[in-house]
Amino acid sequence: MTAPTADRQTPDMRLILSRLRLGPVGLIAALAVLILVFSFLNPRFASIENLQNVLFQVSVPLIIVVGTTLVIQMGSIDLAPEGIMGAAGMAWILLSPNSRLDSDIGLWAWPVALGLGLGLGLVTGLIYAKLKVPSFVVTLGTWYVGLGIAILLYGNDLLPSLTSEGLARWPTQVTLGLPNSFWLAAFVLAGGVLLSHYTHLGRGLMAIGNNEGIARSSGMKVDLLKIAAFTIAGVLSALAGILATMQLGSGSPDIGFGQLFTVIPAAVIGGTALSGGEGGVMRSALGVVLLVILNNGLVLAGVDPDYQSGVFGTLLLVAIIAVAWPQRGRLKVAK
Amino acid sequence: MKTLSKSKTGLSRRSFGAAAVAAAMIAGLTAGQAQAEFAHPEGFNPDDWVIVASVINTTNPYMISNIEGAEAISKALDIDLEIVNSNNSSQTSVSSILAILASGKKPIMFVNTVASSDAPTIVEAVKQSGGYVSIWWNKPDAYKPQDVGDNFVAFQKHTGVDSGRCGARALAEALGGKGNVIMLPGVQDSTTSKTRVAGFKAEIAENFPEIKILEERPSNWDPQLGARNAKDMIVKYGSEINGVWSADDGMQIGAMQSFENAGLLEQVKFSSDGLYPKTLEDIISGRGDNAIVGETFHRGYMASAIGLYTAYLAASGQITPSELPADKRESFFKLSCVTPENYQQYLQYDAAGAADAFVARLIDTGPWDTEPVPLVGGGVEVLPES
Repeated sequence: MTAPTADRQTPDMRLILSRLRLGPVGLIAALAVLILVFSFLNPRFASIENLQNVLFQVSVPLIIVVGTTLVIQMGSIDLAPEGIMGAAGMAWILLSPNSRLDSDIGLWAWPVALGLGLGLGLVTGLIYAKLKVPSFVVTLGTWYVGLGIAILLYGNDLLPSLTSEGLARWPTQVTLGLPNSFWLAAFVLAGGVLLSHYTHLGRGLMAIGNNEGIARSSGMKVDLLKIAAFTIAGVLSALAGILATMQLGSGSPDIGFGQLFTVIPAAVIGGTALSGGEGGVMRSALGVVLLVILNNGLVLAGVDPDYQSGVFGTLLLVAIIAVAWPQRGRLKVAK
Repeated sequence: MKTLSKSKTGLSRRSFGAAAVAAAMIAGLTAGQAQAEFAHPEGFNPDDWVIVASVINTTNPYMISNIEGAEAISKALDIDLEIVNSNNSSQTSVSSILAILASGKKPIMFVNTVASSDAPTIVEAVKQSGGYVSIWWNKPDAYKPQDVGDNFVAFQKHTGVDSGRCGARALAEALGGKGNVIMLPGVQDSTTSKTRVAGFKAEIAENFPEIKILEERPSNWDPQLGARNAKDMIVKYGSEINGVWSADDGMQIGAMQSFENAGLLEQVKFSSDGLYPKTLEDIISGRGDNAIVGETFHRGYMASAIGLYTAYLAASGQITPSELPADKRESFFKLSCVTPENYQQYLQYDAAGAADAFVARLIDTGPWDTEPVPLVGGGVEVLPES
């Protein structure tokens, strides 16, 4: 996690040290405490079965958060995942063996659905970078365009469900002890980590987040990087939409419902500042794991549903304080 | 209960299906004729009016069915139609309705309220514009059509308690009166979910002492959340779970997927509400060793058609709401319990043209006497103690 500091214009020694040594220490500590407490409350929490369950649940938001983090790192925001997920998920299921249409095109369903996400992401990026419309508004627009496409595809016909046993089972099937959906997410995550640390694109996005003016004047193709980030986020949202559809076994325009409020807090909890220039894909991923474990643990601990929202919120606050504790000395302005 | 006895006649599925389609087509033809010949009472100019159907969203199959009913009634009465998509937001719902009211035409309105608290705002606005409105499913208990006046024609619903009881009975009987069940309510504080949950628990408490409710996990009517909570329950209780009740089919679809993934579908029974097409499909195919044992039947198009037709009768002066008995102002319409044994008699209501056929019969017999959803009671739904 040293890359960000390299781009800072006035590197402060203490700051560098704190980042190097403490990294996501708070986050990992918070996770460890949660896991301990929940295992104590219900031993089944620590079972292999629940590990597989958590990893299964983590996969969809994990894929989204990789794209979201890239976008947030450059100081923008991406509200479009839910819409793109709906559009891509519906397109994918209607082109795969399903109970509604006889339009199965086999593996080609994947490039078509991913292409839809790519297209939406690309358009978002172009409008944002070239027409200088704030990302908040552009992605709000793409969110609804995506949802609109999903609703049109859904029509008012039967709920399309997957008729291929193989496809419906794939996400839960276990390879080397872990569910396939998690392997897919882990693969995306690894790609995201490599991209942000070892490529021009990854470092460039961080530089834009730190100071766009300087990035631009130092000769970076800022617009191109911005467009690339949104395009990648679009493709990943589409992939998440396909995976979520497979997991559910049925298509729905609302397949992404609620994901936005997992991935954005997850990124922030992981230390990705909404102002950009900080954080990382791996940290956001840990943030996702924290949120999912929190929910799963509360259910397993048997917290009364009447109290669950309140307990969830309280624990989340405690966890965030724990996560932010090692970084509190940096005297940042919190917005 | 004429229709219920039909299941015993042993008609084959195919011949029954054919008969149902034929019946729907004939009824559809009558609907077509009704449309051409529909005569409004004197003094009622359809051009002054607009039919408005406000739904919570346009992605849920139930809401889509609400729209279908509104379209059928608009066609039959030959009055223009406006659909309000609330996008799950009370704000959007109220502001879109106000925009339509400002257009000048008087509304004949059906509202499937996003939240109970939306009802007074919407009703007041409709009253101001001189329109007539029926509200479905949600309103504050103390806010009564009788107190507002004729413009708030009626509040109508299917009782949630009966739905919960249906599901409980089917599930408990399928388990031989003994076993452990989990519950997946909808949005926890919604009236619909609360009443269904109360009905389920009451039925179990009163009649099935050996059925144990392990846990309830509200799943917000969301199939994915249903799937996730079911997965967590599987981890927590494993093969101890014998039955799953969901407050609607959407969540049940998710839950069944989780049990199937865990290889447990064939050992667990399910019951729920709504008889969605996907659920019907699973009942017919006997998925998971006939995993689905109980459902309730009602359709969105029936609700919107009944609501709109009642409002139309008031708008055209054919009924005076203030002169109606209380159960026609706050009304409960029949909800049928569906089992794998009797589902076939409900297939006709999903056949092509079924909404038009229903509207034709509705116009013929009036809003309170149309099978399969005649008026069965009224007032404020009382939650049983359990």
